[in-house]
Amino acid sequence: MSLKHPIGIDLEDLARQDALTRRAKSALSYFVLGLFVLISVGPILYVISPAFRESKSLFSYPPQWLPNSFYLGNFKFLLTETNYIRWGINTLIFATSVTLISLVIDTLAGYAFARMNFPGKKLLFGCILATLMVPIAALLAPTYLLVRNLDRWTFGLIGLDTFGGLIIPMTVSPLGVFMMRQFIETLPKGLYEAARIDGASEWRIFTKIVLPLMKPAVVVLGIFVFMQQWANFLWPLVITTKDETRVLTVGIATLQGQFVTNWGVIAAATLMTIAPIIMVFLFFQRWFVQASVAGALKQ
Amino acid sequence: MAEVIIRKLTKTFGDNTVVKSVSLKVEDGEFLVLLGPSGCGKSTILRLIAGLEDVTSGEILINGEIVNFVNPVDRNAAFVFQNYALYPHMTVRKNIAFPLETAKLPKEEVLKTVNEAGRILELEQLMDRLPSQLSGGQRQRVALARAIVRKPVVFLMDEPLSNLDAQLRQQTRIELMELHQRLGITTIYVTHDQIEAMTMGKRIVILKDGELQQIDTPTRTYEKPANTFVARFMGAPPMNLIKGEISLVSGQLEFKGDGFTSSLDYLKMGLTPELILSHKNETVSLGVRPEHIEISSDVLAGELSGVVKFLEPTGADLFVNVAIGEETAVVRCQPKAKIQIGTKVSLKFSSENVQLFGADSWNINTTC
Amino acid sequence: MSQIDQNKVLIDWQELSLTDEEFRRARSRYKLRGLIPVMGFLGPFLLLWSVFLAIPMLWSIWLSFNTGGLIDEAKFVGFDNWSRMLSNDELVRSLKNTAIYVVIAILTVFSLALTIAGLLNSNKRGQNFFKVALYFPLLVPPIMAGMIFFFLTHYDMGIINLVLQATNHEKLNFLGDNPNALLTIVSLEVWRGLGFWVLFFLAGLQSIPSDLIDAAKIDGAGSVRRFRKISLPTLRPLLLFAVIIALIFNFQLFDSVQVLTKGGPVLGTTSVVWFIYKRLFAFQDIGLAYATSVGLLIVVVVLTVAAYGFLGKRSEN
Repeated sequence: MSLKHPIGIDLEDLARQDALTRRAKSALSYFVLGLFVLISVGPILYVISPAFRESKSLFSYPPQWLPNSFYLGNFKFLLTETNYIRWGINTLIFATSVTLISLVIDTLAGYAFARMNFPGKKLLFGCILATLMVPIAALLAPTYLLVRNLDRWTFGLIGLDTFGGLIIPMTVSPLGVFMMRQFIETLPKGLYEAARIDGASEWRIFTKIVLPLMKPAVVVLGIFVFMQQWANFLWPLVITTKDETRVLTVGIATLQGQFVTNWGVIAAATLMTIAPIIMVFLFFQRWFVQASVAGALKQ
Repeated sequence: MAEVIIRKLTKTFGDNTVVKSVSLKVEDGEFLVLLGPSGCGKSTILRLIAGLEDVTSGEILINGEIVNFVNPVDRNAAFVFQNYALYPHMTVRKNIAFPLETAKLPKEEVLKTVNEAGRILELEQLMDRLPSQLSGGQRQRVALARAIVRKPVVFLMDEPLSNLDAQLRQQTRIELMELHQRLGITTIYVTHDQIEAMTMGKRIVILKDGELQQIDTPTRTYEKPANTFVARFMGAPPMNLIKGEISLVSGQLEFKGDGFTSSLDYLKMGLTPELILSHKNETVSLGVRPEHIEISSDVLAGELSGVVKFLEPTGADLFVNVAIGEETAVVRCQPKAKIQIGTKVSLKFSSENVQLFGADSWNINTTC
Repeated sequence: MSQIDQNKVLIDWQELSLTDEEFRRARSRYKLRGLIPVMGFLGPFLLLWSVFLAIPMLWSIWLSFNTGGLIDEAKFVGFDNWSRMLSNDELVRSLKNTAIYVVIAILTVFSLALTIAGLLNSNKRGQNFFKVALYFPLLVPPIMAGMIFFFLTHYDMGIINLVLQATNHEKLNFLGDNPNALLTIVSLEVWRGLGFWVLFFLAGLQSIPSDLIDAAKIDGAGSVRRFRKISLPTLRPLLLFAVIIALIFNFQLFDSVQVLTKGGPVLGTTSVVWFIYKRLFAFQDIGLAYATSVGLLIVVVVLTVAAYGFLGKRSEN
């Protein structure tokens, strides 16, 4: 039985049409979304095939989509004939150290800016905020010269081709301090005051009250910093010239120079570099998503 | 046990002076209530005493010692926060033990004191729960337990009941008073709720815009308010204020309002002829509580009278709103009184229930 | 008359026992004591910030009046670097390239990201899957992303050209021709940045109060109209912030130029940072690199202050 509208419009028919257009719209939406997923993921998947093929088969015509056998020669070459493992270890040392050091100094400074009072606080914070996004690219020359000169002053701890020189300049991140300050300010001020009344020193308040409550923010900042340094290219490129301190991004770029035609090797290197991070990402995707947006959106 | 003295305490935030030269003395073991509307500086005074804010000028003494420049913990004052400020990641036990562990007391002593406090506040069953698993009243008790374990000499409470629902608030009020009687610790209690202030305080300090208005017992602040602000702030509905002029006529105080004249016995009001004469040529306000007015339908010429505007029955009472010229007076009547809207009524009151406020809003009776 | 006056009898306990001088001294002592932990907390960051950010910034200004200094001794040249900046063809070209790149990249990535975020916001099913999938390019370091695009776009061996060939189309010279090369770099950066901006705008869209949307629905506004009339205006402050951030990020274009084109063909893809890098480490006209760095520095700091000053003003309202 159909419901007749007074002026004779079939309401059921209208509803059916409405549902139809809605379904069509949603189908179109998902088609567009699917297309972008393909564009996003496709190029990454594309690396898999050449990585498992002999380089000469890459020229075959018509193009070959799938390797006909799992050729592991590219990986073997990478692991035995190049310093790939060394670069990988260096990258881990580099990215982890920068992450840990900046987490410590950023949370401490964020706490000071959020909860402590001292003369000139506003001015100092304003200055730091102004340098929030200063890229290493704009400070390449003075920082390079500084690290070169610091070699003498720090007894080789910070210098060209040293881990100190690679790591320490990258640990300065006003953005991290800013994020941590913003987070600590969202914690109820009463907790901090209660702890003060209870006799806790700033250090005890920081370690026993504030730090346990800001675990999520620390994880987010940690991922953010780690990802940034994992991908860092310009600074390691400038500061390292030897394989002892060279990281993956720079190492693979040198591979590209040496083996322009040896695509299989480069594809394998790319695959090996991004596979672990993708694995980690799939486990902790929620945190990653937060970290990426937090970097810019945390106000 | 301690006496707290505040001398000319002033606090400014930027250009904003929130506490203006406030002086008061809290006796040892007293329960003193700081009362006032929001923004009157009452919480700031409490925070200054606790050491959470830096004093701009003036002195704070606890047990005769100036504590302005003493760390909060060394002032031996415990603070109960409005939202309790329990550490959310610690169990009740850990919360209560925190001040003791901070003081690096031996483990057995911590355990003993925590259990003792848990027993006093009936928290034994809740010791291993997290604050998020507790009800409002329970959190309140944990906050109190955490405050008492340090054996403070002063209790500072910042609206500790305002986050509880009405029923629980009344119950907790009684518990707080019992706790105070039991421990006898000097307590300064901040609230904006005049019922709380009336029922709990031995004395009430009323503040407005950072300035002291009156320090007195609850009854005195109600019966003999120091100024029109206190008169309107204490009591619901507030004291009626009617404008007029005063003069001395044949040994009687004559109050001349808009269209009426009342003769009052100034001796019963505790006034002297000199006081009356000093306010002769200014507009003063006559203050009388709703329950002290008698309403009658017999209206004589020259009497205070008005027209009934509307009625507010509350069950126990009937509040009658009477329009007197431009002004309105509220009269408390028996709930069953037969009063019609629109009728003309006369208002009568006796001299001992009347307060007079000068043009500067302060009570003419300087002993108030 | 007032309460305070009435207490005249008891006035003795109200008298201050410290003189103003004593009060001031005790107070500053007390405050000074409070500063000790501040140094502990702020010290490490402040030290590193001064040494590796503040000092290099000031130093770079000094350097911009110098030349040499990397392998030889620095030589003071006054305003020479600055005056030569605009007459250097390569720098002008780099600026122009960077500007074109920034404009096209931001316009493309923002319109795509807004569309996708809008679609995701109204099609809730599978939202998480799409978020994760779109995030993937962000995991690939720019340098590796460059490699991948190199594979995709190579004239002879790139998969796109192989497909074009197989379908009897003419092959495209992605990296060897202008303006193709710059457009290839743009598409690489769009590909890499898309996921981030989708998440950014989605977060913004989801913060729009739902009663606003519901009210518009009741008023009969269609989804496109709702997006244009409600979502976009509400997002506008966020959008402006995003544009500034994107400007700062994209102005630093370097990695993909280094991997894909090395600035070529015929300076078709030189960028500002690439120019700085090349001047510095190919040791040619270092002074010009110094001055350009300061220029970049000024742009970044001004944009940052604008973005956050703007945000601060917004949060005050």
